[in-house]
Amino acid sequence: MNTVQVDRRPAGRIAVGHAPGASFPDPCSTAGTLCLKVMETPNAPNPEAAAPPGAPADVNRRLGGLLEQIARGDQTAFAEFYELTSRRVFGMARRVLIDVELSEDTTQEVFLQVWQNASKFNPDAGSPLAWLMTISHRRAVDKVRSSQSSTDREAKYGASSQDIDHDSVSDEVGSRLEAEAVVRCLETLTDTQQESVRLAYYGGLTYREVAEKLNAAVPTIKSRIRDGLIRLKTCLGVS
Amino acid sequence: MTDMNAQNNSRVPGGFATDIATDLASGRAADLAEVYALNAVDDAERAAIEAYLASAPAAEHAAFDDRVRQARETLATSFTAEEEPPAGLLDRIMASLPARDLAAAPGVHPGQEPAAVPPVVARPVREPSGLSVTDDLGAARKRRDERRRPQGMRNWLVGVAAAAIIALGGVGVGAYVANQNDPLNQVLQAGDVKQATVNVAGGGTATVSLSTSRDAIVVKMNDVPAPPPGKVYQMWLIPKDGSAPVSQGLMDAEALSKPAVVKGVSTAAALGITVEPTGGSASPTTPAVAEAPLGA
Repeated sequence: MNTVQVDRRPAGRIAVGHAPGASFPDPCSTAGTLCLKVMETPNAPNPEAAAPPGAPADVNRRLGGLLEQIARGDQTAFAEFYELTSRRVFGMARRVLIDVELSEDTTQEVFLQVWQNASKFNPDAGSPLAWLMTISHRRAVDKVRSSQSSTDREAKYGASSQDIDHDSVSDEVGSRLEAEAVVRCLETLTDTQQESVRLAYYGGLTYREVAEKLNAAVPTIKSRIRDGLIRLKTCLGVS
Repeated sequence: MTDMNAQNNSRVPGGFATDIATDLASGRAADLAEVYALNAVDDAERAAIEAYLASAPAAEHAAFDDRVRQARETLATSFTAEEEPPAGLLDRIMASLPARDLAAAPGVHPGQEPAAVPPVVARPVREPSGLSVTDDLGAARKRRDERRRPQGMRNWLVGVAAAAIIALGGVGVGAYVANQNDPLNQVLQAGDVKQATVNVAGGGTATVSLSTSRDAIVVKMNDVPAPPPGKVYQMWLIPKDGSAPVSQGLMDAEALSKPAVVKGVSTAAALGITVEPTGGSASPTTPAVAEAPLGA
């Protein structure tokens, strides 16, 4: 059982499963913008990868409890929810939007939405983290599409990815075990599947824009996204 | 269920068209779930998919929703970029939280430990307007409130704690095998049955299955603790016309485990559940522990 510690000061971090600040080797430090690989990992299906990661369930249980409190107007619970998840929300916004101020605005909007819609969270429809990241991604994508042309997004996406490409490892929400499973599972995707999914997720591109960027047929990109996500889901044991 | 052989066995694998409209027209809606979950469609396409689903068979809609849910879990697990947000952002957000909930939550203040058993928080009868931080959030909230709070509930349902109305979705008809004459199963097996699960203050949830054609609901309590000694749960229908709640029966510790059928729901705006003295009350004497809008 992991202990969740909360430090409410601005620099506070949440430690889940291992010490905050413990760093993992960054497999992508020298690779290209779409790097997702860990070298020592074979790409054969790995039985361990199918095991559901342990720590996120604990985190999600905590987040679910906090959402119930937030729904009743509990600001303390809201602050803890923020401390547990704000790095994820802001990190994703930065990937999609690049611009710091836009990312901050988006993060603020997301957490306001959490405050206002906590009572609408339905545990049967998904985990708290998936709920939060769904809200976050939609907000970020809406904002990037309304503020930047797709050409700008592609250019900025390419330029920025190397700087902050360490998302194969999570040291706030999640655990090393989970991070390793994710890396292994991403490895089971073809390069083109990975590329298409990432361009859509972090680039904020539509399937049509992904097709244009990769100079591929539109139906092909839809298939890559579908097949890539299904393969990833299966490998991670998401049910 | 969603495995690739099953989804492709009646058509060419991967046979997407160039546009969403053609995909939908050729029965490929469920195959768009991942693209949809990834927000890799534009606004018009998203609207087209949602419009299609709104009139699609329940099973197709459910299959789509299930794949979207799985895709979202997968994305949240796999794409985990983190970055420290600017210092002070939490304070700015806290300062901008709409004031309604502050007023509505006496006894809960920042920095204070939440009570072990959170107090039942009264909801304001009407929210103050003009306090929203952003227009779209405010507008969305207003629309939601208008949708969710029919007249007549406002003055009574002030004690609902965390009444989470959950997305109403089609329920697989084949899930229930039973006697056709049983009123319970008549509701659960109705072609138009919809289901929602709401939280019950004090623990557990209540699942409400609504069939408009049967003019009835089935209420099933899940993991709800037995009422305190000398108390029972009492169910009420709150009429749409704003008149007083009408008792629909009692649930003691034993009845709690069994589903209950409540008929004549077409004139009701919501179902409410309160804790009352054994024998029940003529009208609610305590705040509701659960509420389920019956937006028929």
